[in-house]
Amino acid sequence: MKELLKLYRRIVQRVNINLREFNFDVEPFICNLVSFDELKKVHGFYAITSQHPLDFQFRNSNLAGSYFLGKCRATSSILYKSDIRGDELKKKGTVFCIDDFQIPLTRNEGIHIEDSLFIKTLVHNFSHDPETPERFTISNTVSTHYANIHGSPTDGTFLEPFSTIDLTTVNDCIIGAFSYIQAGEINHFHIKPGTIWVRSTGSFNFLYRYPADALNRYIRLCPGAPPRGIFIEFINKYKEPFERIFATVNIKTALDVPPNSSLDRFAAIIPKISIKDNVLVAQRSFLQNSSLGKGANAQENCFIINSNLAGYNVTAHGAKLIDVDMEEMVFVGFNSFLRGQGCRLTIGRDSIIMPHTIIDIQKPLHIPAGSLVWGLVTCEDELATNSISLKDLRQLEDGFCRGDLVFEGSGSEFVSAFQSRIRHILDANGAFYDGVDNKGHAQKNQNISFNIIQPYSEGNKIGIYPTIIIRK
Amino acid sequence: MNSRRVEDLMVPLSEYATVSAGCSLREAVVALEKAQRKFGQAKYRHRAILILNEENRVIGKLNQLNAVRALIPVHHGNYGTDELRCFGFSNRFVRKLYQHYRQQSVQLPELCNNARAFRVEDYMCSPSEDECIDHKADLATAIHQLVQENLRSLLVTNHGEIVGILRLADLFSAIYHTVARQSDRT
Repeated sequence: MKELLKLYRRIVQRVNINLREFNFDVEPFICNLVSFDELKKVHGFYAITSQHPLDFQFRNSNLAGSYFLGKCRATSSILYKSDIRGDELKKKGTVFCIDDFQIPLTRNEGIHIEDSLFIKTLVHNFSHDPETPERFTISNTVSTHYANIHGSPTDGTFLEPFSTIDLTTVNDCIIGAFSYIQAGEINHFHIKPGTIWVRSTGSFNFLYRYPADALNRYIRLCPGAPPRGIFIEFINKYKEPFERIFATVNIKTALDVPPNSSLDRFAAIIPKISIKDNVLVAQRSFLQNSSLGKGANAQENCFIINSNLAGYNVTAHGAKLIDVDMEEMVFVGFNSFLRGQGCRLTIGRDSIIMPHTIIDIQKPLHIPAGSLVWGLVTCEDELATNSISLKDLRQLEDGFCRGDLVFEGSGSEFVSAFQSRIRHILDANGAFYDGVDNKGHAQKNQNISFNIIQPYSEGNKIGIYPTIIIRK
Repeated sequence: MNSRRVEDLMVPLSEYATVSAGCSLREAVVALEKAQRKFGQAKYRHRAILILNEENRVIGKLNQLNAVRALIPVHHGNYGTDELRCFGFSNRFVRKLYQHYRQQSVQLPELCNNARAFRVEDYMCSPSEDECIDHKADLATAIHQLVQENLRSLLVTNHGEIVGILRLADLFSAIYHTVARQSDRT
């Protein structure tokens, strides 16, 4: 225990050093979030597939309940119930094209986690930083419940619950709860909770911030207490099926899954579920009484309950759909929370629900086809304020403001960028697989074996995993 | 010129516009007008108000820009102009955005009327070390500090206590008076 405690204190100190300009102490925010007893008991596991490099190195770390896929390194870190998913890392011999650079890769890219503490965090995608094309490094960072570090090399940063950093290099920042940042690079920034910021320098700049009172009902983090709010209450209701899945070695599902689709063995499935072709259901996702049409996907930490996805739908990491009917090609961004409370939410074709959107209704609501929706929507009036048709947005070349949204730049470029990314996500997930070409995660992640790794069970090093190097 | 010290050019605290913490913005403006009348013989008028605590020590300075800032309507979205710039919005866009907010918000006459409700502490700047200079410092040091910190005045201290204010206008006047005399000789 001594070594584990020392490791914890070392990480806290390193984060505090990086955030000293804010006079910020991370310790009160995380001191009661993880039980050291649980860190000692819970095993970690790594995935073996023929489709991804088998290359793991774990040193002086605790990996309780965490999942590793692809080339991953963890050094002097505590990773609790986190997913380190390296199935989109760049491969040796390929060329990485970014900005005006074409960068040949001489080795496989790896995820390097150093001096960091993650709680129920997802790490995915690849480094978008041209300065580090073969290293996706996260160091001196603490991240809390259901944060997403997506394609974002990060140093010296604190991520509050349900925050997402996406395709952004982040240095010495505090990212408030439920904030979504896609901004290329940010340094020394204290982002307030509920800030949704999507910037492409020279093209567009989208900024929305939730009213603090409204957001606090859904998620808040205060020193000395675990995160609270509707999001946490909702997730806690569904703990039990996951505990059963993670406690069982061999799980067989009676569900009829097409051969070109993938249902992860760590997904929780409650009948009745229908899965069509080219569907990906990732680990730690929860499906109940729902149908997923051709090419739809449910990514990590998604909840899809009493909902119907017509096809080619993206339900991005951490999104939740309850009583929702979606037509084809609807995109629901990271950590969005879409809930009909005893009524149906219907979303028309080709609509984009921005990352970190909350639609929480008590009367039926229809979102017209081709809409962009953001922020908090609980009724028709708020939908009118927090949405715009993609057609109208394309016409705007000089920006606009509406409610708490400010947008500068070209609406047309914004729509094109999003649509292109949605298509890329569908492609990467195998939605367009035709039996020969366009294989994606739905096809590549089908036959995964998992091995368990465990820490020392006694002595000073109890809870610390021994140095483990696993290679093909 | 070389022998002149900051204390020779400073305006003593007793002649400067001051108000107590807790006063309204309106009271501060009235105090400034009063001090300007009293100091009427000077070529350059006061442009700031010093804020005093209960012990009559200076705890802040309210300049014209600070006072005007109080009259910018705050939109309910609460993005300050500085914050929007941090998020990468252009100056042109921010100006346009605030024009839009102003149209929807309280108009200027009403905001001026509301100034009696604004507390000076909410808009003043607390003096920083870079803004202070010792009363015995020479004028060359004062010039360097004003230029380096891009300031219009320095708070003059005596044993750590603020005793006056050295205004750029007074310093400028003194220097260029000397420059002009030397030019005449040559």
